[in-house]
Amino acid sequence: MGSKHKLRWAAEGYKPCQHLLAYRLKHGAESFRVLQKCLRAGGTPGRACIKREEKEVPRCASCGRAHGRLYACLLCATIGCWSPPEAPHARLHAQTAPGHDLAVDVDRAELFCCACSDQVYDPDFDRAVIGAQSAPLLGGTAKSYEKEHPINGKDAADCVKRRRGAEYKPWVPTPGEQLALRQGSTPLKEDESLPSGLRGLNNLGNTCFMNSVLQALLHTPPLRNYFLSDRHNRAICQRRAPHLCLGCDMDTIFSAAFSGERTPYSPAQFLYSWWRHAANLAGYEQQDAHEFFISTVDGIHANSGTTSPRARHSQGGRAGDVDCRCIVHRVFSGLLRSDVTCTVCGFTSTTYDPCVDISLDLEPDIGTEKLFVDPVLNGESGGRSSRAASSAFSASTLLGCLDRFTRPERLGANEKFFCQRCQTRQESIKQMSVRKLPLVLCFHIKRFEHSSTRNTSRKVDRYVQFPFFLDMLPYLSSSIVRSRHGNRLLSVDSEETGLPSMHSPFSSEFELFAVVTHSGKLDSGHYVCFLRLSGRWYKCDDAWVTRVSEDVVRASQGYMLYYVQKTLSYKASDLLPSSTPDILDKNGKHGGYSCVSGLPSMVNGV
Amino acid sequence: MMPLCRRASVNRPPTPDVSNDKESEPTLQEIINVKLIESGEKERLKELLRERLIECGWRDELKAQCRAFTRKKGRANITVDDLVRTITPKGRAMVPDNVKAELLQRIRSFLLSDALWP
Repeated sequence: MGSKHKLRWAAEGYKPCQHLLAYRLKHGAESFRVLQKCLRAGGTPGRACIKREEKEVPRCASCGRAHGRLYACLLCATIGCWSPPEAPHARLHAQTAPGHDLAVDVDRAELFCCACSDQVYDPDFDRAVIGAQSAPLLGGTAKSYEKEHPINGKDAADCVKRRRGAEYKPWVPTPGEQLALRQGSTPLKEDESLPSGLRGLNNLGNTCFMNSVLQALLHTPPLRNYFLSDRHNRAICQRRAPHLCLGCDMDTIFSAAFSGERTPYSPAQFLYSWWRHAANLAGYEQQDAHEFFISTVDGIHANSGTTSPRARHSQGGRAGDVDCRCIVHRVFSGLLRSDVTCTVCGFTSTTYDPCVDISLDLEPDIGTEKLFVDPVLNGESGGRSSRAASSAFSASTLLGCLDRFTRPERLGANEKFFCQRCQTRQESIKQMSVRKLPLVLCFHIKRFEHSSTRNTSRKVDRYVQFPFFLDMLPYLSSSIVRSRHGNRLLSVDSEETGLPSMHSPFSSEFELFAVVTHSGKLDSGHYVCFLRLSGRWYKCDDAWVTRVSEDVVRASQGYMLYYVQKTLSYKASDLLPSSTPDILDKNGKHGGYSCVSGLPSMVNGV
Repeated sequence: MMPLCRRASVNRPPTPDVSNDKESEPTLQEIINVKLIESGEKERLKELLRERLIECGWRDELKAQCRAFTRKKGRANITVDDLVRTITPKGRAMVPDNVKAELLQRIRSFLLSDALWP
């Protein structure tokens, strides 16, 4: 017995102290097993501690201290506190009672040598701890023992508890598993020249709206990682036929896109499932891409979460709930804050609303097209001051739209808000801000205006300049509220005290990875998606995918913009040169493609 | 199953007589600590704290600091007390404010609950 363990210790380069060796000699390794009954698993898995009655407070036998590190002697269960340099009562006990050097940390189940003043390690001790942790799984016979032998300094049998969770063993496939792997899979075609996952999508009849959004979703980093790591497995998903599961259909599309095949793919199954989910939008008419995005997110939320028991619980939460754990909400869901302030008494009412995207208004045309700001200069700089140079609240840039979105807005006389302090309807000021940023931010530029008076819809073609890197810090609730109060800490709102430190500087920086553009008129237009992969931009026009330069993307008419948090994008994509590519798309921003004839009317997205 | 050293009971130090202690009055901190443990709230708070500190990356950073310290001192020359003494102030400083605020709020509302005080 002794030599086997000496070997084990030596293998790990560990030399047990003389006190531990002496103890083992005297009491044997089996003594540790007895102590197993005095241990129980702690709160988190992998942790163990000494058993105690529910309300029992372990205290030092000498001074009655109950906080800090407490050690229970292995032999007589006397508890001593340990707080050098003053009064380490555990060591005193070891000195007065020879042979009682070893003790166990009461809260952590760690073996400690009081004579050496340091932690020691023993494999039999560890085994007892592991045994104690798995006891509850096997029916927990140890519980009864606890009632008979509570530890409180009296004659309790000392138990050495083994801590540590299960040993880590790396997985090595058995020959049978290797055979299954070979037979059940096909190797991906390696094509180094093109980024993986880049594949055209066939237009199935005015489905360019779907293709554009699908391309963006296919390359949304957290979503792509989720599906590619098989987190939603369509083979074991319980919602399969006859029910529809948009998650499974997404999984199919991901597998097809990343398979290495470069011929265009037809997402017919997904289209059919989506028709069944959004029956009012079914048909071969051209639909609105933003509406498609919202209904797809909703569909994946509703139909997902069946492959893991925890996710099943999330279906109770309402759609868009920030706490929902389904993948689309974890990726896209953010929280908007709306403050309505009474102009008479200053009372502010705050509400929080979850959102999966931010829809931005364009200011009515006031002849701002002339102010075509230089994209290089204005693109990368944040802050409101630089944009004040251009016309106030000019909406020809994304940052201008965001300024407009978060500016204090005076509600009209016919929109009086009921003030709780005045107890009457008063004129008020409303201000929006972003309380919690999602991992992926989707901006929707409201280009489709529907006038209810004249019952017409029209499209606003105005160019909106968007930056490739975006810092949302000025639009966060913390910044907006702070600037409203002039940097004073007047507010007694308890939520606000937590705000300033909630977002570290890094988590408010975003970078653009996908742009869905619309070209043409309201009723006969075409959607195209630009994707940034490996530092290069690609134009995905249904089945035609071409590489384009950055300038083409900048000059395009953005309709939906997808930004991902900078911390989530891999460093590799920053290192690749994004300079002039080999194949330049000289066809201009609006490619010559038009929709299949039939030209039905387009539903507006407002 | 071997009952261990019964003769140890002879050498065990006598149970301290609390009323003879010079400090007979427990401090407020001790009272609160005891109340937390008795009600089981301390366990829950520990779990919450553990979760928050893992989420915000505090644990990983501290682990890295411990490793660096251990490597510097040499694996054989380090004791638990050294680590605790050196790392504790760093760890305390690195806790994010919102975590502190949340925990304090929890403790405050626990102490204000009527069921606690006789």
